[in-house]
Amino acid sequence: MMEASAVKVDHLTLFFDDIPEKPVLNDISFEVNEMENLLILGPSGCGKSTLTHCLNGLFPRELDGNMNGDIFINQKNATDYRNGEISQHLGVVFQDPETQFCMFTVEDEIAFGLENKGVSPNEMEDKIDEVLGLVKMKECKHRNITTLSGGQKQKLALACILAMEPEILVLDEPTANLDPVAAKEFIHTLQQLQQHKKFSLLVIEHQLDGWVSLIDRSIMINAKGEIFYDGELRHGINKHRDTLEQLGIWIPKATKLALELEKKENHTFENLPLTIHELAAQSIDFKPSLNKGNGKPNQHDLAIKANELLWSKKDTDIINAKDIHLYSGQFVMILGANGSGKSSLSKLLAGIEKPSKGSVQLYDKPLQGWRERELRTKIGYVFQNPEHQFISDTVFDEVAFSLRLQGLTEREVINRVKAILEQCQLTSFTDLHPYTLSQGQKRRLSVATMIVDNQSLLFLDEPTFGQDASSTNQLLNLLMERHAQGTGIVMITHDMELVYQYAERVLVMENGQIALDTTPEQLWSLTREQLKQWQLELPVQVKLQRLLQKDVGYVHS
Amino acid sequence: MFIHNVNPSIKAITIIVSVFLLALVFDPITPLCFVIWIWILTIGVAKIHWKKYLVYFSPFFIFALGMFWTNVMFANEPNNPADVITLFGREFPTEDVNTALALSLRILSFTSLSLLFLLTTNIVHFILSLMQQCKLPPKLAYGILAGYRFLPMMKDELVLIHAAHRVRGVNRAKTMKEAFQQYKRFAIPLLASAIRKAERTAIAMESKGFTGSRDRTFYRQFTIGPKDWLFLVMMLGMLLIFITVSWQLGYLKWYSGEF
Repeated sequence: MMEASAVKVDHLTLFFDDIPEKPVLNDISFEVNEMENLLILGPSGCGKSTLTHCLNGLFPRELDGNMNGDIFINQKNATDYRNGEISQHLGVVFQDPETQFCMFTVEDEIAFGLENKGVSPNEMEDKIDEVLGLVKMKECKHRNITTLSGGQKQKLALACILAMEPEILVLDEPTANLDPVAAKEFIHTLQQLQQHKKFSLLVIEHQLDGWVSLIDRSIMINAKGEIFYDGELRHGINKHRDTLEQLGIWIPKATKLALELEKKENHTFENLPLTIHELAAQSIDFKPSLNKGNGKPNQHDLAIKANELLWSKKDTDIINAKDIHLYSGQFVMILGANGSGKSSLSKLLAGIEKPSKGSVQLYDKPLQGWRERELRTKIGYVFQNPEHQFISDTVFDEVAFSLRLQGLTEREVINRVKAILEQCQLTSFTDLHPYTLSQGQKRRLSVATMIVDNQSLLFLDEPTFGQDASSTNQLLNLLMERHAQGTGIVMITHDMELVYQYAERVLVMENGQIALDTTPEQLWSLTREQLKQWQLELPVQVKLQRLLQKDVGYVHS
Repeated sequence: MFIHNVNPSIKAITIIVSVFLLALVFDPITPLCFVIWIWILTIGVAKIHWKKYLVYFSPFFIFALGMFWTNVMFANEPNNPADVITLFGREFPTEDVNTALALSLRILSFTSLSLLFLLTTNIVHFILSLMQQCKLPPKLAYGILAGYRFLPMMKDELVLIHAAHRVRGVNRAKTMKEAFQQYKRFAIPLLASAIRKAERTAIAMESKGFTGSRDRTFYRQFTIGPKDWLFLVMMLGMLLIFITVSWQLGYLKWYSGEF
């Protein structure tokens, strides 16, 4: 007997009205069986979110465009469901934790879905307690949603959907806006959930890390919105290893390392390893190669000197740091758990916020002594959301803005802007409005505006957050190029691979204090517990080295 | 917490009717008594801390004081110029002082009524109750709630945009024209992100089965019980008593456009 399909997508093609020549989804057909876990993998902009909207019945109802083909949810055509009825069978958790809620407290938000479904009020309380128990958030029941962390918000979004008891759960890049620790926890929660509840799981993602252990089957979509693989996940990665990399999909870190080894050692893995243990089990010769400076600052290049920094708001100390010296020409990364004061510290050092006590000096002159405009030609600061920094109508004007402020001649402005745009690979977008760029391009544009004055120090607040693999690579190449020219870079990040590859010095923050100021190599030598307390993990290269060493140890003993 | 627990819709109706009645009468006695009565309720019964209350109340008090002063100083020609009282070492016609008092106490009474409502009512409960008792369409009600959630987010975002623009070398605005241009520049990223957020929230709400139809159940149910009617009757009863007292004392006049 054929297994019943929970979701069946049949020759789905979708156009938007504003781009009629290029379909967003191109002749997509696939099935999800009952109780099956399926991963839909595709680069940013391949129509993954559009597909979600088709599945939950929003399209074609709200579509400005054309949709052909059919979608069956539990063998019934999606268009035959009454308005709002699909949500009882298929629930979606979206990417952005901030914008999925319309109520104020956790319990009200979960109740919202139940109210829509028409559940009787006396049953609601029990249901709310049950789903909060499932995602391990019972103690948060009466809390205000704004006080939750990003990871807790995503778990709440999951709980809201679980309360409605759908047979199909769709997750649209659920961990894209979470830091690695929260992302891991979210996937772990899902894993445990599957032991308690029965549902089909459809994960739509542009990255693979963490999902490998949960999911067997995968569909891969390319940038043109076509399916190019449907089958076992492991086999797909093995077969399409090069395509995935070209598309900018984040593959598991261990796999990425294996691919790098392949290129270097001229060795081909029959079966690409997906986890670090699988990689270590293959007999390989791993010599880490790093792409960074010597880490020893030139003492003459002291750029920023901060003494006894204290910044408090409403009687609580946000930052309480001793002396910090930053050198131009050094690549520094600031690490630490969420809310440990990483952004606050960098804003104090960059002169965006004023400390309550203590002083920050730039080239032996206190920050207050600098004129704002002059200061900004020395220190650049790239905010988390690039759009916040845009002030002009075209990419060109955006970069030219500060040059024009300085009263340079238009010819000089044009020359310098051209050079910077070239460096940032934005030359072909000169006349576009900054808002129309892709996420990665926006990020590079915001960096471009901050290096156009040859600033000697550049602060970046989580610049790789939520970016696909190719944008991240392009951005880091750009930063390394500046670094080679002597720019000091201070970057806040959660990504330990970046720390491993690029950092010359790390600052670890804990409760507003600098807990550690050292080299990455020193950091790896700390105990696991110590790292865990700061929500840090060892990078995959270090893990691999450890595992290999252990093996060698076994052989000798 | 009797006043906190009164059904929010009934509370709102009571306050609107009271304001309407107060607007009809024009004398110093009724609003004076009523203001004192509301204060007793707010601080004595609803247990709002007096310091907090003072903070909210003081701007309106200053406004009322100003109103009083201008009305005394620039009053119309009195009908009865011989009848005077002495204030701050100067003589004023009693009639003018009464008019001025009536106007400024009227402001204070409106203020204290509004504050009584605002300080004792959860805004979410109010909207939920409007939906349940006053048939406010859910589409509108949940739209307002979602929008209300955005306000603090937008405030944080504005602070961020401000800092981000400063880093670009945009100077602090000095002239009116510069300030206007600066706000125009703030508006675009703020609006862009607000529109995007609103769209995402709407989609998330729809995928939780929200259709905007009235056919839904409520986790927090609001009902109207005896205590709610008691509140309504008590408030309007007190107001009628004060009006009667004022009438007995011979102060009561109907409002006829004094300013």
